[in-house]
Amino acid sequence: MKLPRKKLTASIPSFAMGDIGFLLLIFFVILARAQDDSHVRWQPAKLKEVEMVASPLASVTIDTGFKNYLDGKEISTDALTAALSQILGDTPSGKRYVFLKVHKEAKAIHFEPIIAAISEAGGDLVHILEPEQPASSQ
Amino acid sequence: MKLQRGKLLIDPPASASSDIAFILIIFFLVCAAVQPETGIAQILPKTEEKSEKQDQSKNIEVSITPNSIVLNGSPLKLNEFPPKLTSALSKKTRDEDRVVTVKSAPNTPYPLWIKVSQVIEQAGGILTLELESDRVINVE
Repeated sequence: MKLPRKKLTASIPSFAMGDIGFLLLIFFVILARAQDDSHVRWQPAKLKEVEMVASPLASVTIDTGFKNYLDGKEISTDALTAALSQILGDTPSGKRYVFLKVHKEAKAIHFEPIIAAISEAGGDLVHILEPEQPASSQ
Repeated sequence: MKLQRGKLLIDPPASASSDIAFILIIFFLVCAAVQPETGIAQILPKTEEKSEKQDQSKNIEVSITPNSIVLNGSPLKLNEFPPKLTSALSKKTRDEDRVVTVKSAPNTPYPLWIKVSQVIEQAGGILTLELESDRVINVE
């Protein structure tokens, strides 16, 4: 008589799945942060009537040190037009949104050449601002 | 003699803590991603090197400095500027005549500049920037 062998079942240990997922997420978060401009330090100016704005194709920021950034990467004013034209490509007018985030202490000498570069690249300029709260009457 | 019972240590189940952290991260990521941004859209004519002098003379000119706003040569305060500009633009019927040329001093602060540009757009003007082009001269 032949005795049947016990079948060994191989199961994937699911105990560590949460940890693996967590580490993967951290990895992708760090990767994403390298592409966006959330690490650029700037404070928006305030204006009374602002509206919600659509998502942009590119984002240009002037930071607290008055340096220029295109999608989080530092760029010179001279190189901005060409870089923007490449990003905007053949996107039809009206959808070529470019966000301009200017630090509130910036002067015309800093932001006017940037506006000119966005205009030259054919971008639809959107100034990112903070809504001004009405002064509370006491 | 009384025998002492061994105390049972009760640990919180640690196996689920990574899953909780995962869900919390997802929650904060989604919250951060959906935070809306506010601002104003601005339509600017495409940058040109030169414009005709004849057209420039017809346009309304606004000069901005940190302390003053000058509309066609007359200095104004910020609260005086909107009615004066609206009355100046009311005489203009054609789009090309509604162009407002803005010239800013290099030290004009951004909050003032954006307020002035908003007033121009709300009054129905077409904002155009006049920039001073830099010229680099190399001396050998």
